[in-house]
Amino acid sequence: MLSLRELQLSFATAVLDGSCAAIGPWIRDEGLDPAARVDIYRNNLHEGFLKALALGFPVIQRLVGEDYFGQLGRLFLAEYPSRAGNLHHIGAPFAGFLREQFGATTYSYLPDIAELEWAYQECLIAPDAAPLDPTPLQTMPPERLADLRFDVHPACKLVSSEFPIVRIWRANQEDRDGTETIDLGQGGDFVLVRRNDESIELRRLPGADFALLRSIVRGGTLGDALQIASAVAADFNIATALRHFVGLGVLTCVHTN
Amino acid sequence: MAGSRAGIGLRSQHHREIIERRPAVGWLEAHSENYFAQGGPQRKALERIRESYALSLHGVGLSIGSTDPLDRAHLGELSRLIRDFEPMLVSEHLSWSSAGGRFLNDLLPLPYTEEALKHMVERVCEVQETLGRRILIENVSSYLQFSSSTLKEWEFIAALSRQSGCGVLLDVNNIYVSAMNHGFDPLTYLNAIPPESVQEIHLAGHTVNRVGSREIRIDTHGSQVCKPVWALYEYALQRFGQVPTLIEWDTDIPALDVLTAEAAKADRIAEAHRAVAA
Repeated sequence: MLSLRELQLSFATAVLDGSCAAIGPWIRDEGLDPAARVDIYRNNLHEGFLKALALGFPVIQRLVGEDYFGQLGRLFLAEYPSRAGNLHHIGAPFAGFLREQFGATTYSYLPDIAELEWAYQECLIAPDAAPLDPTPLQTMPPERLADLRFDVHPACKLVSSEFPIVRIWRANQEDRDGTETIDLGQGGDFVLVRRNDESIELRRLPGADFALLRSIVRGGTLGDALQIASAVAADFNIATALRHFVGLGVLTCVHTN
Repeated sequence: MAGSRAGIGLRSQHHREIIERRPAVGWLEAHSENYFAQGGPQRKALERIRESYALSLHGVGLSIGSTDPLDRAHLGELSRLIRDFEPMLVSEHLSWSSAGGRFLNDLLPLPYTEEALKHMVERVCEVQETLGRRILIENVSSYLQFSSSTLKEWEFIAALSRQSGCGVLLDVNNIYVSAMNHGFDPLTYLNAIPPESVQEIHLAGHTVNRVGSREIRIDTHGSQVCKPVWALYEYALQRFGQVPTLIEWDTDIPALDVLTAEAAKADRIAEAHRAVAA
């Protein structure tokens, strides 16, 4: 007699790995063989998984077409089975999976688009946070500014690419016919994805601003971040950049040590 | 009282229309996992909707029947959602969806054995203790039966309710689908469920598929409630009385009016039943 544990592991093996050897004998035939019954569950699983994936990555689906997206989705599911009861989480490794598939090909912009779409999904559900009150900064002695660290709003994500990913993303929204020709060599994008009230905004940043913010996100001090940004653009103006980020509500909290 | 008129499943496609039009339905049921977000538009919409409607939370991802450890993070999110939205009912399924850390994200049937019953009772009790409230457990549609089962599904769910104190969310469509797939009389099922345990009824559509030489009904929640299920609903009203009833529609989601029309139909049947009973 199979224990409940053994039954569940065998059933999962049958559905996910395709082997009914262990579970088959424990499924009643009732006029339809056990493997065909397991197929029903496998189809349901694939359908639900692909639907959830397509909801999170509509631009990828549009770029590769529905059929190929389905094939990619099945491969993806085989390598990265869902690890949570909430289907939202299945999209997390998708950009990495696409990088394995397309990293060294002429489609290497696909993983970057997937990263952009995942950032979009993450911003949709991130917690709210109050924007930074800049008053204490204005009265702070200049020599202390270099040691400051900031928290960045949870609904702000950074994505960069050597390809024009924002243009590709916009050209493949539902209301566009998708016929626009885009030169992949026109130059890349540094993108801040952020929630603005109830919608998500993709904002292209100058390279130095992006480098500053990425350093801050990674926990660097303002001094570290400035050094990195200045290496990108010699004329980088940190006061302007900070005012910009504070105004957008990107920064939420300042730590003085 | 909330629930004296039928409710409908809440889908994000209808958020704006519900907020603007406030259709006359009794209440709304949200899939818990769809609102685990801690901020953002989905959550804001639910806050606005909650101002005008009673709400129930229906979970599809807790994998309560699994032998893997209960996902504490998932339960924590559910707990927070309950605290924030004060739902009238909280429900999950008589099913499992994960094994060895891999999730199948589907409502998989249990073997109806004494071992599985004991396990479900323990898990439901653990969830009820964590959430600090009674939950409802819903019967699912199934496309296979395990040969190790020693209990009937209706015996299993009645015993689960008795031993764990959970309520029963009776999905009349699922009973019909499983009855057709496995060849039992749906009335036998309904007659075995203790009347006082039933706290909610679900109605939905399903599809009829041909697999090999067999007809298999699949619970898609993607169409209107079929005639035999409406007939079973009438029987359920006789047996269980006026229970909050919900129209579920989860795939190929139609215009809001289609859902409210189905809910109105359930209301008319319940009204006729009340008139006869009075």
